[in-house]
Amino acid sequence: MTISKKRSPLRVAGLAIVWLIVAADIALLIWIFLTSLRDTKDIFARPFALPTSAELGNYANAWGEGGFGAAALSSVLLAVVSSIAAVAISAPAAYMLARRRTRTSNSITMLFAMGLGVPGQVLLVPLFVAMASVGLVDTYTGLNLIYIGLALPFTVYLLTGFFAGVPLVLEEAAAIDGASGVRAFVRVILPVARGGLITAFLLHFIGSWNETLFAIAFMQSDDKVTLPVALVNFVKMQQFNGLDWGTMFAGMCIILAPMVALFAWMGSRIIQGMTVGIGK
Amino acid sequence: MRGPKIVAAGVMAALALAACGGSPSENGSAEGGGKGEFTYWSMWRADEPQAKVIKAAIDRFQAETGTKVKVEWQGRDIKVKIGPAIAAGKAPDLWDNAADVVSTTVVTGQAADLSSVFDSQVPGEGKKVSELIDTKLVDTLPKDPSGSTKWLVPYELISTGWFYNAADKDLAEQPKTWDELIKLCDALKAKDKPCLASDGELMWENFLTLDLLLVRDNGAGTLAKIFEDKSGAGWDAPGVLESAKRMEQLVKGGYLIKGYDASKYPAQQTNWAQGKAAFLSNGSWVAAEVSTLVGPDWKMGALQIPPTKGGNTEVNVSLIGFSVPKKAENPEPAKRFISYFIKKDNLEKIATEAKNITPRADIPAPAELADVQKQLSSNPVRPVLDNLPREYNQKVLFPAFLEMWHGKISAQEFVAKAKEAHVQYWKTAG
Amino acid sequence: MTATLTPAPEKAPRRARASSGASRRRDSGPLERQQSRLFWPFVAPALLVYGLLFLAPIAYAAWTSLYRWDGMGEMEWQGLKNYWILWNDPNFASSIVNTLKILVIGGVITFLCSFLLTLVLREMRAKLFARSVLFFPNLVNAMVFGAVAGFLFSPDGPVNAVLGWVGVETPPKWLGTDNVFTLIMATLIWTATGYYTTIIMAAVDQIPPYLYEAAELEGASAWQRLRHVTIPLAWDVITVCAVLWTVSSVKVFELILLFGGSNAAEPPMQTWTTAVYVYASVFPTGSVPKLGLASAAALVSLVMVGLFTVLLRRLMRRDPIRY
Repeated sequence: MTISKKRSPLRVAGLAIVWLIVAADIALLIWIFLTSLRDTKDIFARPFALPTSAELGNYANAWGEGGFGAAALSSVLLAVVSSIAAVAISAPAAYMLARRRTRTSNSITMLFAMGLGVPGQVLLVPLFVAMASVGLVDTYTGLNLIYIGLALPFTVYLLTGFFAGVPLVLEEAAAIDGASGVRAFVRVILPVARGGLITAFLLHFIGSWNETLFAIAFMQSDDKVTLPVALVNFVKMQQFNGLDWGTMFAGMCIILAPMVALFAWMGSRIIQGMTVGIGK
Repeated sequence: MRGPKIVAAGVMAALALAACGGSPSENGSAEGGGKGEFTYWSMWRADEPQAKVIKAAIDRFQAETGTKVKVEWQGRDIKVKIGPAIAAGKAPDLWDNAADVVSTTVVTGQAADLSSVFDSQVPGEGKKVSELIDTKLVDTLPKDPSGSTKWLVPYELISTGWFYNAADKDLAEQPKTWDELIKLCDALKAKDKPCLASDGELMWENFLTLDLLLVRDNGAGTLAKIFEDKSGAGWDAPGVLESAKRMEQLVKGGYLIKGYDASKYPAQQTNWAQGKAAFLSNGSWVAAEVSTLVGPDWKMGALQIPPTKGGNTEVNVSLIGFSVPKKAENPEPAKRFISYFIKKDNLEKIATEAKNITPRADIPAPAELADVQKQLSSNPVRPVLDNLPREYNQKVLFPAFLEMWHGKISAQEFVAKAKEAHVQYWKTAG
Repeated sequence: MTATLTPAPEKAPRRARASSGASRRRDSGPLERQQSRLFWPFVAPALLVYGLLFLAPIAYAAWTSLYRWDGMGEMEWQGLKNYWILWNDPNFASSIVNTLKILVIGGVITFLCSFLLTLVLREMRAKLFARSVLFFPNLVNAMVFGAVAGFLFSPDGPVNAVLGWVGVETPPKWLGTDNVFTLIMATLIWTATGYYTTIIMAAVDQIPPYLYEAAELEGASAWQRLRHVTIPLAWDVITVCAVLWTVSSVKVFELILLFGGSNAAEPPMQTWTTAVYVYASVFPTGSVPKLGLASAAALVSLVMVGLFTVLLRRLMRRDPIRY
């Protein structure tokens, strides 16, 4: 990759803005982390000061009494299973919808697209009644199913865009080689669209990791709540009993840490997958 | 999978009913009562003080009666879950919350009548629940479809007031009238100390003052009367404008902490707890909320909005208590637990350990809420905002009120705006 | 795997265009037949799950919208009354206005920012790092923003302190109720810009670098490269992003709910969007839930999205790009 050596003032300004935003984001992250090491009184006295002593007790509180420890397991389970399943179900459909431009295909694409605009809360009561009638309330299966369902419109739509960008010549070549459609899809198309798949997986993973509304309504047992629910529950104690802000920020860090780690690691993988997969 | 469960539940319910019907009704005490089991959804998280108190009582109850209690420490979001759970036939046998949350299941006819609990003997005390809990408290609740208010058994009381540091020498003398209060504010202003702290975005907390002023000027139940008159004529009463003008006086008089209209909760509350303002209008839970923020010599005091013209000294009360859904499968053991919990050595821990006021007059409130308990017992009580539906508050009262509170409109304009929204509300409330 | 693919891209786009044109002529080559045979096996599972977990509940909601229902007791038929109520409720009107503000104003700003960032990001050092960091606010719980804004913009907070140094005596009331919605929009634009920049950059990375090199040789400025290379070639993905923005802006709700802080109360009316309106009707505190009304409001937003999506697709339709 060649980098332009010309440095117009506009470009410099652009770079400055990018780095400014990057710096603000990092400052936010650092602030959240530092605040998680302080106690409530201290936070309010000087919100932007450094911690005087590291209050690791906040983390112990959050992990134990706050219920974040138990919730972490539920969150991992739900986010991983539902993301994989959602991408696995969506990918073939998105591929076909991108390739075939028949009237049926177009209306199905439109149907999925419309699902994007439905506020999740509309589905809440119908889904709850339905899940309760088959005994799936307060189970991982039930919430996983819901997350898969909620993810479909987005994942299908996103992947349709990515598959549309995959050159048709690949299947043509595979077909000439005598590969079956399924085989060509699995062996040729999927690897090329890997970047899109990983992006879809990650976006859905993040989405379900942070999903609150359905998790609150569907998970009733203490040992099954997810991290955001643990956070909301913790924060809601503010009503009537006051809030331990330090512990709350520690809880936020517990939610954030895997996301940041995952993105730091996978973030470059996605981009690599995209650039390498399609070949330069 | 589901079939056997339902059968099992049915059998359990039948057993519970049989156990209950079999014992003479006078013997409603927990000791020797039938075994059974019930589920309890708590509004508290397991590590909150209230939860610890209830947990301890449940443990004793299980050991003494052999009843099995299945507890879920749901936390406050129980209010989101209870509706769908009832709809899906998965309601717990017992749950608790603030009365306004429980009341949504009451007006829809989904809450069981708890008269039998009020009539039952509290184990070991020889008295009925209704003799230990002042009826004036339960009378503040809205009526259920059958006209009864006995659908909640309270175990914790919330009140409201202007809270302050009683150790502050400037606030040693309690104003007896509204004019004296304004005089006190003036005196504080002369010393460059704001009279009232307020986070301007908070609607409920800030409205409390007007809520009580309407009572002081016009008598109890004024808001309810305004609400019920669909024409909006209630807003035209001269006394309503009078109360609004007192609010305007507070705003325009410069008694409010600087920047109150540009802050976000809990910034100004924190300033107050650090002594940067004299009073804070809030619910009595504020004592617990700021307990880690206030200095060591802080002594929590509470001031009720003083009378404006003699009489009308009502004090706000709001109840937190137990409710049993109508669709509960095992209501009887749940009800037995309620009366068991009202027993003094259980309930007093709500005061001593959870630091809150209990509905029993013979249990002293914790020191920081002693003022409030005294005010509650020596004055008539009323429900906060006359139990108006929150939707009405949200759509009619609060938007217009906040504009006045932020000094953007006058008292007259407030009344006009509220009336307009009121008419619109009833047009669509159908 | 990459080895086998290396020669592909040069010819690929041209061929792709040719074949997609061909497919419209109902060409029945072996590939075409193969794909038509596999169409249903590939699409059916997703469609089935979608139908069961999405469409059926929506149908149920649509049916509910004709009733008065508290979610617990009996449903009471009321025909189109719920829609009449929405029509007459000034709060619903203001919710729609807010939603449209996010959709249109927020959308324009977000995409302008995203393009500018893409423009700079494509050619800068450490772009992977910068890109990851830009995406990061999407991972942060909405409550954090509320808390941070509360500290940053408080009357005696750092922002006003800085303004004080440069001589601003009466700083704006950042957190006043009138400005909260603007702050929410700003937060939304900030997080969304990172999000869409990431997706658009993923598409931009697929553009062969030689096109940029050629453009540079011909002396094209960064802006011209964006206009004549980046945007046309990433057009498909940009269209997807625009539609995504439309639909997600109608759903914005958690941020608004949590920005007001951790309070038990609903956010102030001035900040309501249609999604918050729906939520508040389903889960009111201290009022009876109105599931029928909520369903009706949800369907109205659904129709709104539908209209906007159709409109957008009309506006953004283009001939496929040749290069």
